[in-house]
Amino acid sequence: MKSLALNAHPRSLSRRKGSRRLRTAGRIPAVIYGKHHAPQNLEVDTEEFDELVHKAHTEIILVDLAVQNDPVPVRLALVQDVQHNPLTGAVLHIDFHEVKPDETVTIEVPVESKGDPEGVKSGGGTLEHVRFKLRVRSLPKNLPDQILVDVSHLKVNETLHIGDIQAPEGVELLGDRKIPVFAVAAPLTAEAEAAAATPADGKQPEMIKEKKEDGAAAKPDAKAADKKPAGKK
Amino acid sequence: MAMMPARVKYRKMQRGSRTGIASRGNTVAFGEYGLQALERCWMDTKQIEAARVAITRHLKRRGKVWIRIFPDKSFTKKPLEVRMGTGKGAVESWVAVIRPASILFEVDGVPEALARESMRLAATKLPIPTKFIARHKLG
Repeated sequence: MKSLALNAHPRSLSRRKGSRRLRTAGRIPAVIYGKHHAPQNLEVDTEEFDELVHKAHTEIILVDLAVQNDPVPVRLALVQDVQHNPLTGAVLHIDFHEVKPDETVTIEVPVESKGDPEGVKSGGGTLEHVRFKLRVRSLPKNLPDQILVDVSHLKVNETLHIGDIQAPEGVELLGDRKIPVFAVAAPLTAEAEAAAATPADGKQPEMIKEKKEDGAAAKPDAKAADKKPAGKK
Repeated sequence: MAMMPARVKYRKMQRGSRTGIASRGNTVAFGEYGLQALERCWMDTKQIEAARVAITRHLKRRGKVWIRIFPDKSFTKKPLEVRMGTGKGAVESWVAVIRPASILFEVDGVPEALARESMRLAATKLPIPTKFIARHKLG
């Protein structure tokens, strides 16, 4: 994987108010952390980051981060996490994970299907994408943008597991080999569709009354138990 | 059976607050495409069911549909021309509290054009504006 250049500045503004000020000024709050240096708050130009994302065409981005006034001129880092506004999609915060070129990293890589499954073409089934990301371990230079899996041989009711996927060269796939990634589900029958329909029948939910009944039953007994000793006195 | 809880501890509840935007259930989690709420509302069982039927009819048994919301809140109403007082009214229906950014429905296993059209049809059954979104990809 090729690394892309990105400029960053040390950040003094923090917390909610500071971050808001930064965003209105066209900067994105960020942080860099890793094994070898102490974490540092950064700020990145919004336009520059958008351009980088546009260039990268992938979720896994390796950057050569040039932090202004930093003793280390360029720091190799992975874009570990990007927080978005759920409504507008605007980038709110970026996490950079500093890595060494000769050090293996563990990261989640998107997995995509290739080809039309046999069960969908002839059997009328539906391709189910069960797992969207796979954990991989490799050197930063070997990290794949995505893992393409050929699903054309899958028939109806067949499943493709992590163990069936061949990892790219220099990449180790992590996780239980039995975890399903893709599956072809049988076509929906008319009965199943009718069962999914939920006609209104005016029923009301059942009330959880057990505790109340127990309590109501227990109360007179408790009172009686209290009274008896009192009567004896 | 209409969408409602199977068992509840208390049948009638207070109205609660619906301020803010959805902090949970705001990303496409299961399918490839989703319908996102842009405003807040109480969405009742009939509206959810009407939208679900619109989606499944348009998809014609293809693909898979997820309903990401559930009406777990009851709301009550007093009969017409009844004087105020004498306690809370009877349970009228069950609603889901929808905040902006909530994902309402998700679809997978169909082309984008088909998913988009089915979501457009579903959106016409709902009381709030919505938008069609795809699974978030950074690149």
